Amino acid sequence: MTGHVVLITGASGGVGEGIAVACGQAGWTVWIAARRREQGDAVAAQVDAAGGHGRFVACDAADASSVRAAVDAVIARDGRLDGVVHNATSGLSPKPVTLPDLPLEDLRDQVGVSLRGSWLLATIAKPHLVASHGSILLLTSEAGFEGKAKLAPYAAVKAAQRGFARALAREWGPEGVRVNCIAPLASTPALEKALVMDPDMGPRLFGRNPLGRMGHPVDDIGPVARFLLSPDARYLTGNTVMVDGGSCPIT
Amino acid sequence: MPDLLLLGTPVDAVRALAAGLGAELVEVPLGADDTVLEAWRAEVAAGPAVERLVVAPWVGTQTAGRVDDLDAASWEDRAEQPLAAWVAVLGAAVTRCAEGGAIVAVIERPSPLDCVGWAPESGVADAVEALTRSLARSEGPRGVRVNAVTTPTRLTGPDVIAPPPPLSTFPGTVERDVVGAVRLLLSDDAAGLTGTVAHADSGRSWR
Repeated sequence: MTGHVVLITGASGGVGEGIAVACGQAGWTVWIAARRREQGDAVAAQVDAAGGHGRFVACDAADASSVRAAVDAVIARDGRLDGVVHNATSGLSPKPVTLPDLPLEDLRDQVGVSLRGSWLLATIAKPHLVASHGSILLLTSEAGFEGKAKLAPYAAVKAAQRGFARALAREWGPEGVRVNCIAPLASTPALEKALVMDPDMGPRLFGRNPLGRMGHPVDDIGPVARFLLSPDARYLTGNTVMVDGGSCPIT
Repeated sequence: MPDLLLLGTPVDAVRALAAGLGAELVEVPLGADDTVLEAWRAEVAAGPAVERLVVAPWVGTQTAGRVDDLDAASWEDRAEQPLAAWVAVLGAAVTRCAEGGAIVAVIERPSPLDCVGWAPESGVADAVEALTRSLARSEGPRGVRVNAVTTPTRLTGPDVIAPPPPLSTFPGTVERDVVGAVRLLLSDDAAGLTGTVAHADSGRSWR
């Protein structure tokens, strides 16, 4: 399985970075698909240091031509693609807003990155995933199950990804492509930003976590994502796995 | 104060819902772009408070199509525009709802077993369920309940995957299967329910 090749959007930091490093620990080739080259190159170096092969490719997940160019770059260099992870989110994700006041332009930004980005990455990568019997992993959130009073658009797009994945799993299963989601809770720059913007969020998050701590992107989230991307998960599709220390009691 | 408004698009199924509930239909422009939706939201939000609102900005027609066959225009029509409409209309509903009032979103949702060909709609439906729960949280402190009813009435093909749904009435009709569920969630009998999603789909969805 050391020949595994995966592409991860939004992997220049946070949970995406953690998944990239965890995949690197298995010796995989990991493409860091992101807009920020400097940070992406740094994560690629971490993948190398972990035992894998890290590569950066510029990618705007909401733009079809950009996603296509990124996937083409993978195939041109490595000749195969075994998995794609859609982790990128809009910079507006942690911005508190009430629904009646939400500019639809802001909604569109979040929908474009999270939901359209899922569709674009899946469809553009599909021929290569069919060839490799590969898999798709979408990063969703417990917000998509429970809703968020001040982050309703974020909750909506995260839920939408799950509904889309559920249908996609059924449509593409017969062609050997698996589609799953994970809903992580991890200490990331984005979450830190959200905690600053909404001081009430901290007690809400920590007071309900039976393990009593935030997840670590590499050590807690990464291995679950790596499993779902690997052949060990060959009989799993259409699932959403909560990787949140038990915070969201949906079983 | 008006007792019951239905904020919905002028399609037959929504009109049937309004008639079944005895609600005044406030028409949402069908397939509108964001500028029109925002203007509509502002205009409707400026109206008087209402005790009970039903929200159903359904698309004009539902036609199944696999993800492999989606192009950018159909993606916009089936996923992004409908979700923008839901956000605009729910925003107006929240503004209009009186303290202690109730809102019910009526969502077109394919059941998990029958969602092939309905990936965009499945995504939109899950998004609106999350919006319902988000609004239940934000509006609960002022006594406003926000719930949802889902229906697959227009999202089911001719072939039903085995096992068949528990009730032979699947996929149901708006008049028989949806109206009553909405009426229940609007009523004082549902005073303790908020953030609930009731699947009026003959038992096809089990969670």
